[in-house]
Amino acid sequence: MPASLAARRALVYLLLGLAVLVVAFPLFWMAVSALKTDAEIVNPAAPLWPAELQWSNIGRALSQAPFGRWYLNTAIFGVAATAGQLTSGLLAGYAFALLDFPGRRLLFVVALSGLMVPFSAIIVPMSQLLGDLGWLNTYQGLIVPNIASGLGAFLFRQFFLGTPRELGEAARLDGASELRVFLSVYAPLARPMIAALAIILFLQNWNNFLFPLIVVNTTDMSVLSQGLSVFHSQFATQYNLIMAASLITIVPVLLVAVAAQRHIIEGITLGALD
Amino acid sequence: MGRQVAGRTGAAPRAEGTRPARRRGRRGTWALAYAFVAPTVVLTVLFSLVPLAMLLWRSLYSGGVFDFAPRFVGLENYTGMLAEGGGQALGVTGVYTAGFVLLTMGAGLGLGLLLNSGAPGVARVRAPFIIPLVVPVVATALIWANMFAPQFGLVNRLLGALRLPQADFLSSPGLALLAVLTFGAWQFFGQNVILYVAALKSVPRDVLDAAGVDGAGPWRRFRHVQWPMMRRHTLLIWVVTTLTGLQTFTQIYVLTQGGPDGATSTALYYVYNEGFVQFDTGRANAMGVALFLLSLLITIAQLWLVGRADRAR
Repeated sequence: MPASLAARRALVYLLLGLAVLVVAFPLFWMAVSALKTDAEIVNPAAPLWPAELQWSNIGRALSQAPFGRWYLNTAIFGVAATAGQLTSGLLAGYAFALLDFPGRRLLFVVALSGLMVPFSAIIVPMSQLLGDLGWLNTYQGLIVPNIASGLGAFLFRQFFLGTPRELGEAARLDGASELRVFLSVYAPLARPMIAALAIILFLQNWNNFLFPLIVVNTTDMSVLSQGLSVFHSQFATQYNLIMAASLITIVPVLLVAVAAQRHIIEGITLGALD
Repeated sequence: MGRQVAGRTGAAPRAEGTRPARRRGRRGTWALAYAFVAPTVVLTVLFSLVPLAMLLWRSLYSGGVFDFAPRFVGLENYTGMLAEGGGQALGVTGVYTAGFVLLTMGAGLGLGLLLNSGAPGVARVRAPFIIPLVVPVVATALIWANMFAPQFGLVNRLLGALRLPQADFLSSPGLALLAVLTFGAWQFFGQNVILYVAALKSVPRDVLDAAGVDGAGPWRRFRHVQWPMMRRHTLLIWVVTTLTGLQTFTQIYVLTQGGPDGATSTALYYVYNEGFVQFDTGRANAMGVALFLLSLLITIAQLWLVGRADRAR
């Protein structure tokens, strides 16, 4: 029945269109609000569309707070934590899957135990511990506690369990050392897995708010999300500048997300369903 | 979204799969293996297990900013926590999480089915749904603060235009939690869309086609083929979503600071507020233990349910 099929398809497109609108509209509204004058933004009777687009608001917002420094801090944290998570996960996953050593089972349980302890439950002792180490307001305080990744170790172990053992045996017969076997035979196989995890881990670290909040309390060491929340408390209801500041933090991530959408989707699925 | 986006896994059931090949009991291999697992193991002990031990231990001791000689107080922190806002916070968290699970899983399944419906072109429109998920929560929360603002905010202007009563959503005891939940669901539902698309793809095409040949319409194919075959996925999605809901923090911090009068103070916001604003670390730790036990319970329930679903198949 082509008529009912057409009607059904029209309904599918309509509902999906609505859902996309629900997602996109707030972002569009952020841009519109960011470009209003100070008077327009607080005037309930002003037209919804600004009379003249105030592009200068973006420069004004940028000049009100050290966004450059916050970008730098977020980038250092994001890159270092992600690199640490991928490296530690790759190494541990390989050893747990393909090497035999005393205590392997026990150490694997320890590695996974981190998954049972949500960071949110331990924020108070974590901050006390980092205080005792003298790591509050430092890069190592931001980065080092985030390096161990039970999820990474687990996923890489699963991956290496699925790789053929003969590859390593052949290399060993040729006289390759254990380290060489890992570096030239197995690690390169994991490249697609690394790519899928890298982007999703990076975005998580980039957007992490709670962890920096308990480790850092100076403007100089803040990450973008923290800085933006301070900006919000300073400018209260001056939503044109607040939206301009939000725009500044959202747009770069948005571009990365669109460019890397396939990896992101793969990473989300890997993390939750495997 | 924090560390939860990639979420928890159904880790343990397949933990011990194949045995590594013959023992190559050479010391060199052992040294390499220990060096490889050391970063993960040492850092997990230091930054997960040690703080957990501190949490459990210190939840039994008095704690405060001027408390230089903590003394053992038994369960006093727990009773104090429950009586002074903590009980309310657990209730708020329960209501929020229930709404969050319903909205995001409902939207995820519905949109997943639409994206999987085979209408030309729709399979490729997944990208918009990941955007709220991957951009900074603080920034998107501020967009919603702008839209919910009294008088000049978009929502109130629309209500005014329709001659409906306006409201100060984020400061009204009855509406604040609903407003925060609306934002939370908007921010997160894309993850469940992606996961349900993956789940629906895992249903073998030929089984579905066979049901179609037998004359089953879309509803009956869903009810009798897709839904039962996705059971394991639904459980995993439920776990990740519930754990995310339980740990709701950033939007509360940005939008309401737990107010008005504790109406939006979630368990994690309570921990933060007691620990870092009021400096009653004893009560903060008691709530931390509650959060830990709740997520442990859910993870154990997950392992048990997934195990049962797997056996049923």
